[in-house]
Amino acid sequence: MLRMLVLRELQTQYSRFRFGYLWTLLEPLGLSIILWLVFSVLLGPRHLGLQPYLLFLSVAMLPWWWFTKGINASVRSFRRNAAQLRISTLPTQFWVLRVLLVSTVEFLMSLPVVVIAVILTRDLPGPLIVFYPIAILAQFLFMYGIALALASWNVIAPDVARLVRLAMRGLFYLSPILYSVSNIPAHVRPLAALNPLVGILGLYRIGWWPQEIEDMLHYGVSLGIGLISFVVGWVVFRRLESRVLKES
Amino acid sequence: MARLSITKDLDVMVEFEGVGIRMPRARKRNVNSRLRRFAGEASPEQVWRLRDITLSIPAGQAVAIFGSRSSGREALLRLAAGTLIPDEGCVRRQAKVVPMIDVAAAMTRNMTVRQNIYVIGGLLGLTPSVMGDLVPRIAHLAGLQGQLERKLTPLTNRQINRLAWSIGVMTGERAFAIDKTHIGEDLEFASTVKERMSQMRAEGVTFIVASDRPELFLDDWDRGLVLDHGSIVADTTLAEATVVYEQLGGTDVDDDSDLRTEETFEERDDLGEEEVWEEGGDERPRKRER
Repeated sequence: MLRMLVLRELQTQYSRFRFGYLWTLLEPLGLSIILWLVFSVLLGPRHLGLQPYLLFLSVAMLPWWWFTKGINASVRSFRRNAAQLRISTLPTQFWVLRVLLVSTVEFLMSLPVVVIAVILTRDLPGPLIVFYPIAILAQFLFMYGIALALASWNVIAPDVARLVRLAMRGLFYLSPILYSVSNIPAHVRPLAALNPLVGILGLYRIGWWPQEIEDMLHYGVSLGIGLISFVVGWVVFRRLESRVLKES
Repeated sequence: MARLSITKDLDVMVEFEGVGIRMPRARKRNVNSRLRRFAGEASPEQVWRLRDITLSIPAGQAVAIFGSRSSGREALLRLAAGTLIPDEGCVRRQAKVVPMIDVAAAMTRNMTVRQNIYVIGGLLGLTPSVMGDLVPRIAHLAGLQGQLERKLTPLTNRQINRLAWSIGVMTGERAFAIDKTHIGEDLEFASTVKERMSQMRAEGVTFIVASDRPELFLDDWDRGLVLDHGSIVADTTLAEATVVYEQLGGTDVDDDSDLRTEETFEERDDLGEEEVWEEGGDERPRKRER
């Protein structure tokens, strides 16, 4: 059933645009190139991030894209599917899971962008690339947790969705996407470790830039917080579940 | 708490034990209440809709439920089907109870009849494996044969309600909680409904139906229940229940449910039109391009 719901959603999404699947590739690729132009060419070399910068950007841009799209969409999932929720005998969390799986499939389908960036920059990853799938898993769990909590909260207070959009913008600059963790001054680095995305994005990147994991402790803390968010998200959802059903 | 707990007693289909539920009141949209909700304060806006309900519905029984909108009628049905979690007490059921409560509202207008059957059928518990066989039969029952690939938009509300009802009864489950079918306005279809339901009743299917006119659904009922202000005021035969309900004055108007429905419709994103989020959700939603 879940598979059917996910496929149906993907189908409608792709039949909507003329270029369909191509957009999944073009959007993050285009954005990566624009940012690369601005930060690498226009502003000149500023020791921002690591080299090659285009690859550095796109490796983090895709997960970020997945993160922001997935969270923004799933926050509204209970509210949008209220009429379906009323007659559904499926577990309540399926509605969040469905939106999240749709965005995950899109993310996986956009991975050729990394391949393109690798070809353009001729920079093959090292053996630490094995952490890439682990990063995907960690990000999925982190997203699932906060999506569950935010979606339930959004049912009670509809303003949450807007707040989340604002928070996403902030998070874009607070996470090491444009820059590397090593660009963060050493004395605020422990603060950055509180952001689970620091750890997750780090895992994506260490295949190419093993020096990124010099600060193992920070990554551990960051990923740990990601895992805690998942647990907290579940607990919040369980507590609000009855409320979600009532409001539907 | 789990939404589905199974009772071991095979003769009982649904069992309520000291069940109570609070439901949110109409939304007052001022900043103060919004802020309070934001902070997680829930209690002042919830009122007891049902309180201390103990009830046992044997398998194979046909129960008609009377009650005004604020009586807790719909909450009782949703609790029976497990689409609501009680705040106190517990509800046990022996098998799945299909929630046929305003199914039409859950349909997607710009999907085809076939797609809607798949999605709604799935929500009500049909597995994709049996679907292929059932789709033409459901369409036939709804009088929509040969229109499977049509979108819902050009269909009349009456046709959509018929489709909703047909999907529900074709799930082949052993128990149904039925409300807001809008069949009352569709007398032509009523005979199909009645015929089908009588047949299922003969096969031992349990029906819990909330309606002011139960005679539209079945000729013989085992039981009539009257709800008033969150409690059962009569649990008797259909004829006696009808009398009690009439004495209560039938449908009363001074409740907040009308208001609530309107407001939720306004606030809810239109289900028919999917929103497209671009640039990582940074832009305003755009209506689907056609």
